[in-house]
Amino acid sequence: MLFKVEKRPVPSQTMVYLTPVLAVLVTMVLGAIIFSLMGYDGIAAVREIFFTPILNTLKWQDLAVKAAPLILIGVGLAIGYRANVWNIGAEGQYIVGGLAATGVALATHEMTGWYLLPLMALAGIAGGMAYASIPAFLKVRYKVNEILTTLMLTYVAVQLLNYLIFGPWKSPRSFGQPQTVLFNADQTLPYIIPGTIVQAGAPIAVIVALVAWFLMSRSIFGFQVRTVGTAPNAARYAGFSANQTVWLALLIGGGMAGLAGMLEVSGPFGRMVPQFPTNYGFTAIIVAFLGRLNPAGVIIAGLVLAITFVGGEVAQITIGLPFPAVGIFQAMMLFLLLAGDFFVRYRLRRVVTAASVKPASEAAE
Amino acid sequence: MSFDLIIPIIITLVGASTPILIAALGELVAEKSGVLNLGVEGMMLIGAVVAVAVMLTTGNHYLAIICAAGASACSALIFGFLTLSLSANQVATGLALTILGTGFSALFGQPYTGQAVPLLRSPFAPELAQHEVLRIFFGYSPLVYFSLIMVVAVWWFLQRTRWGLILRAVGESDHSAHSIGYSVLGVRYLAVAFGGAMAGIAGSCFPFILTPQWVERLTSGRGWIALALVVFAAWKPFRLLAGAYLFGLIATMELYAKAAGGNFRILPSELWAALPYLATILVLVLISMRRQGSTSAPACLGRPFVPSN
Repeated sequence: MLFKVEKRPVPSQTMVYLTPVLAVLVTMVLGAIIFSLMGYDGIAAVREIFFTPILNTLKWQDLAVKAAPLILIGVGLAIGYRANVWNIGAEGQYIVGGLAATGVALATHEMTGWYLLPLMALAGIAGGMAYASIPAFLKVRYKVNEILTTLMLTYVAVQLLNYLIFGPWKSPRSFGQPQTVLFNADQTLPYIIPGTIVQAGAPIAVIVALVAWFLMSRSIFGFQVRTVGTAPNAARYAGFSANQTVWLALLIGGGMAGLAGMLEVSGPFGRMVPQFPTNYGFTAIIVAFLGRLNPAGVIIAGLVLAITFVGGEVAQITIGLPFPAVGIFQAMMLFLLLAGDFFVRYRLRRVVTAASVKPASEAAE
Repeated sequence: MSFDLIIPIIITLVGASTPILIAALGELVAEKSGVLNLGVEGMMLIGAVVAVAVMLTTGNHYLAIICAAGASACSALIFGFLTLSLSANQVATGLALTILGTGFSALFGQPYTGQAVPLLRSPFAPELAQHEVLRIFFGYSPLVYFSLIMVVAVWWFLQRTRWGLILRAVGESDHSAHSIGYSVLGVRYLAVAFGGAMAGIAGSCFPFILTPQWVERLTSGRGWIALALVVFAAWKPFRLLAGAYLFGLIATMELYAKAAGGNFRILPSELWAALPYLATILVLVLISMRRQGSTSAPACLGRPFVPSN
């Protein structure tokens, strides 16, 4: 039986939604085989990484904690990528957002009041936006490629973080540890489910994603972003400014990453520490693609990636699988998704060859 | 300034520049054929970890370098299959390759963490290699001489050979090249594999010239700087050499600032560490200002090619 690759007349919508599911499933199968070949228990690895976090209800709170920043950053990136603006430095914007929120927390450390957290959130968003506005300005004004500038600025942000917590922001009571003081109770996110570690970050992430989904699919803004990305000439004709879209895409991406930074530093961390850069900004790139650059999809994709993180920690303890193995599973998902995109645009068709026709014609004689 | 200060500075500078130069030369060839591979950082990490693993197992530097080149070329071919045969988005696939390389190297590097890797030292006799003054010519690792030979070789190949002409044609006008009967995808596969092999060799420079051990993410963004250098050099090998040494100089200044203390301490060490990245951004801006928007990028860079029958 022979197959021929042929272009679909229109891209398949079914495949658009089916590809991420297939990518995850094929990752499990391939991952089990590869890690078995490497001498690990491949099937147990897949079970622990992909299923234990779902089946073990005690792990659900960890999922919510890990998924929240991934969803927030992923939504921001998805909007940007839709407009063909390749912000890959969300990690840097996340760091600067966290630093801005820390700055407010340190300045108001002797104060109490309900308004401290909103103030920190605003600072986080503003910090992330300000940091993303550098590549936006350079792209619009000087046509400098945003891929390189956003990434370079991530390395700069890490140094800024080090400078602040090894220097002016170091707590005098930390016994030489490079970290700030612990935020006070009004500067720390409340726990929303008593008895768990789930803080306000998780519902905020979901609400932001839903608002973004509504804006992208139902508003003129979403239409503008999608048009500039898919049909730049048509967008110009419609009066949508490409420069304005670059600004919007980077400010939204930076603002969301900055908010995620604020929610992390005032939530799970509770203070600024050298371990603050957690690679959420890079993993969110996978989240954005796996969620098909659609804010609603990003919620699901954020959960899937959170599952692999939590599962990776489980697998490390139960079967001794090194944690970096999770990174390989995550990269495989992205590769397989991008490969699967081929079938959105093309399809396989059975070809009836001369050889397979012949017996039928002979039978007819 | 005396020789005993200048010579060590030059030797450190050349060493720091070499991985960026080798990786950028490979990327330049890939981009000349029209393929933008953002996976340089990941391929360098794969090369570095394979080099460390093979070196510590066999004790042979050259075998380690060849294996590093081979492993990174294989990873580049995965990228090639997706972007060329399946015409996937090159930006996204390149990012995926970097994420894969980061995970792969972290996983396979773990057992080797903290083990000393012997440096690959100058191939010349100690009288030359350690001579007070002459070591400025003879005191480098073979990888350094390789990088300089490759600058000339890549220039000669692209500008003076028929194959180089075909490669440039594929990058400038894929459909014309296809219609005169050249295999656009075949040429691009070879260029991508070459870029991968060079990134792998560049990765092996880290344990063999710079830090004689495995450290997670030891390339620390040098692959991205290599990508920026290709833009800076306007896709010309000799300008790549100048650019790489400029960045080597900045990285060397950082090392000396950290070691010397004293007068260099006017700036915090974190600012020195951030300087190569800030300089990269500045250079990209200056280049773009001078060119007034028109770039010398290959016309088909980043565009998928689907052969029509």
